[in-house]
Amino acid sequence: MEFDWSVIADAMPTLLSGARVTILITLVGLAGGMILGVVAGTMRAYGGVILNAIALAYIELIRGTPMLVQVMFIYFALPMLANIRVDPLSAAITAIMINAGAYIAEIVRGALLSVNKGLREAGLALGLPTWKVLFYIIGPLAFRRMIPPLGNQFIISLKDTSLFIVIGVAELTRQGQDIMSTTFRAVEVWSAVAILYLVMTGVMTLVLRVTEKRMRIL
Amino acid sequence: MSMVEFKSVTKAFGSITVLKDVDLKVEAGEVVVLIGPSGSGKSTLLRCINALETIDGGDLVVDGISVKEGRSRVRMIRQEAGMVFQQFNLFPQMTALGNVSFGSRKVRGLGRREAEEQARELLAKVGLAERGHHYPSELSGGQQQRVAIARALAVKPKLMLFDEPTSALDPELRHEVLRVMQQLAEEGMTMIVVTHEMSFARKVGTRLIFMEGGKISVDGDPAQLLDHSENPRLRDFLQHVH
Repeated sequence: MEFDWSVIADAMPTLLSGARVTILITLVGLAGGMILGVVAGTMRAYGGVILNAIALAYIELIRGTPMLVQVMFIYFALPMLANIRVDPLSAAITAIMINAGAYIAEIVRGALLSVNKGLREAGLALGLPTWKVLFYIIGPLAFRRMIPPLGNQFIISLKDTSLFIVIGVAELTRQGQDIMSTTFRAVEVWSAVAILYLVMTGVMTLVLRVTEKRMRIL
Repeated sequence: MSMVEFKSVTKAFGSITVLKDVDLKVEAGEVVVLIGPSGSGKSTLLRCINALETIDGGDLVVDGISVKEGRSRVRMIRQEAGMVFQQFNLFPQMTALGNVSFGSRKVRGLGRREAEEQARELLAKVGLAERGHHYPSELSGGQQQRVAIARALAVKPKLMLFDEPTSALDPELRHEVLRVMQQLAEEGMTMIVVTHEMSFARKVGTRLIFMEGGKISVDGDPAQLLDHSENPRLRDFLQHVH
């Protein structure tokens, strides 16, 4: 079998533009997912019955259904249900956001609950309101413990963006598919695509490792 | 007005009643030592005072505020009643100085410089002037507990609650904590101390309370009770802790 690697050189600009879209979806989606996750996770760990139930319903709904179905729902079903038109990119970002948010919520909850209960009591005993105890004492300690599982989730979310091929977002996998259908160079194209994913997840891993090292893990 | 007043306080964890109709008045300046077998309710009694445990029946008034008055009032009680825990519970991400200045900054609203200056004085008072920049993990148990006392004092409480402050410490480290507590008592601080340190009870305590089964069964002068108590179970208990 012969390989023609020159195909890659021609395809690279297109693949890189796909990678840029992948990065955009991942970063914006994860930023939103972090906010959702911190809010829902804190509601789970420290909220009353009602807040806890709301967060639990969200987490179970999202974790219990495939992301592919979620994005199809946002893109195809929402316009019919509520007359909300979403462009593919927004649908993709929203899907990553709510999906990562549900998993991050559980990471946040676990980290918050793993912090020694005595520290919370010590903070409360000084006369602080609960939110200040969470913000100044429990939160910073929990954050350090979240980094390794967050790393997992970030990498999973980045790779999950490849699912958005189904709604026609011009992300990396979609661009690879397009080039494939004109060149039929499966080995070369998919190798290049895989390597680009590896580079992106590699950079992410590195950033997380540096962050982790810079904080004293307790 | 009493500093602390329990009015037939009841507290249960599930089906287990830990405090049964407890009545108790503690006046300003008293040093009350609480003893009793494990499970007798002494720690729970202490933790009800600053509302770390909520009471199920009766009323509990601390410095004129009832623990049932609601969250912001409970926070005021907690600012008046400093607490020292068996396991120290220092904030591990902060230095000794950070731990001690934390309360005055976040609770009393002092600026960093003022709070740290005050924290240095408090650390000096507990004999740790040189240890301000150390993290809790770099300190011995006795040192950590003294930092914890300074941390509680930084909020300027009128009352100090000690929950077995020396139980997690090696015997040779206990005296340094007890000395700081004695000094506090001599300065007139109102204190309620759950402990098994009978020498502390005798030397520093103004009142000894023996609890069993969620009730106060003996309440009186420490020296007298330690030497000739009429209560056979207290005598039996004392034989085991001596």
